Amino acid sequence: MKEFAKNFTKKVVGPAAVIAFLISIVVSFAGFEIPSAVIYVDAGLIVGFFALYTITEGLGAYVLRRLGQTVFVIWVIATLTFVLLRIIPGGPFDQEKALAPEIKQAIEAKYGLNDPLALQYWHYISGAATGHLGYSYKYVGREVSEIVSESFPVSFQLGMFAMVLSFLIGIPAGVFAASHHNTWKDSLTMIGAISSVSLPSFLVAAIMITIFCFGLDWLPVALWDGPSYYILPVVVLGLRPAAIIARLTRASVLEVIQSDFIRTARAKGLAEQIILYKHVLKNSLIPVITFAGPMAAELLSGAFIVEHIFNIPGMGKHFIQSVTNRDYPLVIGVTLVFATLLVFANLIVDILYTYFDPRIKLS
Amino acid sequence: MKQIRYTKSISTILVLALSAIAISCTRKGKVDYDLNIDETLRWNIVSEPPTLDSTLSNDTTSGRVLDALMAGLTRYSFKDGEVSTEPSLASSWQVTPDQKTFTFTLRSDAKWTDGVPFTGQQVIDGWKRLLTKKTGSEYANFLFNVKNAQDFYEGKITDFAQVGIKLSDDKQKLIVQLEQSQSYFPSLLAHQATYPIRIDLIEKFGDKYTEAANYQSLGPYKLKIWDHDKAVVLERNDGYFGKKAKTKYILGRVVGEASTALNMFKKGELDALDTIPKVETESIRQMKEYRLQPSLAVYYYELHTNVKPFDDLRVRKAINMAIDREEINKVVGGTKIPAYNIVPPGLVGHDASIGLKFNAAAARKLLDEAGYKDRSTFPHIKLGLNTDENHQRIAENVQAQLKRNLGIEIEILNEEWKTYLKATGTNKYNFHRFAWVGDYPDADTFINLFVTNGGNNKTRWGSAKYDELVKKGLSEGDKEKRKQIYGQAMRLLNEEEVPVIPIYYYRDEYLISNRVKNYPLNMMFKFYPEDIELVK
Repeated sequence: MKEFAKNFTKKVVGPAAVIAFLISIVVSFAGFEIPSAVIYVDAGLIVGFFALYTITEGLGAYVLRRLGQTVFVIWVIATLTFVLLRIIPGGPFDQEKALAPEIKQAIEAKYGLNDPLALQYWHYISGAATGHLGYSYKYVGREVSEIVSESFPVSFQLGMFAMVLSFLIGIPAGVFAASHHNTWKDSLTMIGAISSVSLPSFLVAAIMITIFCFGLDWLPVALWDGPSYYILPVVVLGLRPAAIIARLTRASVLEVIQSDFIRTARAKGLAEQIILYKHVLKNSLIPVITFAGPMAAELLSGAFIVEHIFNIPGMGKHFIQSVTNRDYPLVIGVTLVFATLLVFANLIVDILYTYFDPRIKLS
Repeated sequence: MKQIRYTKSISTILVLALSAIAISCTRKGKVDYDLNIDETLRWNIVSEPPTLDSTLSNDTTSGRVLDALMAGLTRYSFKDGEVSTEPSLASSWQVTPDQKTFTFTLRSDAKWTDGVPFTGQQVIDGWKRLLTKKTGSEYANFLFNVKNAQDFYEGKITDFAQVGIKLSDDKQKLIVQLEQSQSYFPSLLAHQATYPIRIDLIEKFGDKYTEAANYQSLGPYKLKIWDHDKAVVLERNDGYFGKKAKTKYILGRVVGEASTALNMFKKGELDALDTIPKVETESIRQMKEYRLQPSLAVYYYELHTNVKPFDDLRVRKAINMAIDREEINKVVGGTKIPAYNIVPPGLVGHDASIGLKFNAAAARKLLDEAGYKDRSTFPHIKLGLNTDENHQRIAENVQAQLKRNLGIEIEILNEEWKTYLKATGTNKYNFHRFAWVGDYPDADTFINLFVTNGGNNKTRWGSAKYDELVKKGLSEGDKEKRKQIYGQAMRLLNEEEVPVIPIYYYRDEYLISNRVKNYPLNMMFKFYPEDIELVK
C-alpha cells in the first residue's frame, strides 16, 4: 500500500501536475486568459503533489517545522522593513513644495502617522497577519492588496514564461556542451552562455528592439497583450537565467558522467542519449534546482528593468517607486510578496532535492 | 508498465480538457480598448494618476487628466505669451476696489455627465471638503485667505456658514469674502483643488467614486475607462457647456519610461509625448514633431546665508556674477532661457533686465574685497543636489566655472530625492539646487517663496522690507503699479541681497505627431483639449 501511494505520487500526480502546468503556460502564452477553474486545478495538483510527497516520504515533521520557521522569517522581514522605512530620511509627505505645518500634520493624521510608533507597529503587524496592509499613500483610495493583486499576476505570468524558457534552453544547452566536452561545439555554447550572463538586460532589450521592431518590423515595441507582445520581454528576461542554468548543468553533467554507474550503463550498451537524459541529467540537476529557487522568486515577483522597458504593468516598478515615494504600506506589500515567494521557493527546492537525489535526507 | 499506462491516460485526459478550455476561453482585452484609432488621440500620461479626486489631486498627471474632465469657476487663457484668467463655470465676476469681495455669476446651463445640473452649492461643498482636515488635501491653504477659512480648518470654528463663501438669495451668484486683498484670487479657482464636487457621489461610493463606473464630470470629456496602471480612456462629453471637443476619444496611456514612449511614438502607437527621453536628445530635437514651449518654472540655487562664507553679501554676489548662465544653457542643449531673477516671462512683473549679469572680473574683485584675496583661505563649500543626470551636468559646469572665473573649488554632493529634501533644511550644504513651478499665473507664486521664514525659503534669509513689498503687491489691483512693486522686490532679492542664484527658466519639450492639430501647448502645462483635431 505504501509503495503504491509513493508510486502514485511520483508517477501520476507529479507528471500530471507538470503537464497541466505546462499546458497552462502554453495556453497563456498563446494569449488566452486562463479560467480560474484551471488555475485552481493547476494549483491543486502542485500542492497535492507536494503534500502527498511529503507524507509518503515521511517528511511531514520537517515541512511543518520549516513552515513554522517561515512565519518567523516573514515576521522578522516585516519588522525590519518597518524599522528601516522609519530610519531612512524623508517621509511620505515631504515634497518639493513644502506643505504648511498644519496641513502636513492633518495629512499625516489621516494615515495614522502621528500615532506612537508602537501603535503604528501593532496596526501594521496585525494588519499584515490578516492580509490588510492598508491604503497606499500615493494612490488615493486604493488598497495595497488591490494594487498587488492587479500587478502581481502580470509579473507572475512574465516570470513563468521566462523561467520555462530558461529551462528549455539552459538544460539542453548544458547537456549538449558537456557531451561535446572540449570541442568547438562546447566552446561556442559556453561563449554564448557567458555573453548572455554578462550583457545587461537593458542592452539586450535595446538590441532586440532595434532588430525585431524597427529593422524587421515583426514585433511590437511595448505593452503586454498576446504572443507577439510576450516574445521580446520573455526572451530578454529568460536569457540570463538560461545561460546560468546551461553553465551549471554543463559542470554538473561533466562530473556525473565520470561516475561508475554511468560507465556501467555504457558497458551495458545503453544508447548515449538515454544515458545522458535519463541517468546523467537526473543526477546533475541538484545545482540547477538550488539556483532555481531564488531565481523563481526574483523572476515571478517582477523584473523591474524588463517591465519598465516594455511597459508591462507588473509589480516590478512598485519595488522602486514605493520606496522613492515612501509609500510605506505598498513597500511592505511588495516586500512581503517577495519574501513569501523566496521562502517557499527555497522550501520547495529542499523537498525536490530528495526527489532527485534519494541519498539526501531531510530531518 | 502499469504505471506508465496511468501516466499516459491521465495526461491524455488533461491535454483534452485543457485544449477544450483553451479553445472556449476568450482572448484578452485589446490594448486599444476597441477604440477607433482615427478618432482617438493616443497620449502618454507617463504615470498612473494617483487620484482623479479634484480636491486631493496634487500632481501633474492627475492635474492634466482633470483638465480634460473637469471645470472650475474660472480657467486660464494663454494669449500673446501672457496668462490671464477667463470665465468658465462662472460667466463673469466683480470685485470691490479693496480686492476683498468677489461676486461670481454662475452659469445656469452647465450639467454633470449624469444630467445633474451644476449649482453653487457644489462649489461650497468642494470648498468645505478642501478645508476639512480629515480630507487631507495638500492644497487646503489655497483658500486660507477666504474669511474664517483657516479658523475652520484648524477647528476654531465649526460652523461652515461663518466661512466667507455664500450663495446669493437667487442662488445665481457666489459671494466670496477675503481676509486680505488678493487681486489674483479668481486665478486660484482654475486650480482643481477649488473645483465643485458631487458630495452625493462621494458619500455613496466613498474612495471608489473616482472609478470610471461611478465618476461624473463637468468638463469637455468624460471618464470612459480607468484601467489602473495601464491607461485612462476619455470620451467627448456632448453635454459640455463650453466649446465642444473636436476629437472623440483620448487614450491616455501610462508609459513610464521615456525611451519606450519614444519607440512607441516612432512606431505610430502614440501621438503625443509631453516629455522627451534624456538620451538621443540631439536627434530628437531635429525631428519635425519636436516642440518647445516656455513654462512657468524656474531653476535656481539657494545659498545658505546663515553660515560662512555665504553670510557675506560680497561672496554671494561674487558667486552669482561668476556663473555664466548662457554657458549652462549650452550644457543643457540650449533649450532653456537664462535667468537672472526669479519671475519667469509670461507674468505681470517679469523684467529680464533685473538681476546681476555675468561679470567674472567684477566677481573676482568682490571676492578679493571679502578677504579672500588668497583663495586658499576660502572655505571648502558644498553644493547639494538630488541625483539626476541633468542636475549633475549643470553642477559640474558651475564647478568648472567657479574654478575658472574665481579660482575656488566646490564639492558636489548628490542624494536620493527625499533624503535630499530633508538635507536642504540643514547646513549639510552651503548651497543647493531647487526649482519651482508656478501654482497660479501670478508673479506672487514666485515672489512669496522668499518671505522671511517661508516654508519653501531654505536660504535662511529674510527681510522685513521684502515681506512688506510682497504684501503690497498682493493687494494692488492696478497692473502697472503691481509691476513696479514686484520690480522693487526682485531688485532687492536678485541685485541687492542675492540669497538665491536663478539659473534658467524652463521650456518644456514635446513630441507631437503630424496627425495632431492644435495640441494644447502653454506655459501652465494645462491640458485643455477641446481644440485638438486629428487629420487623416
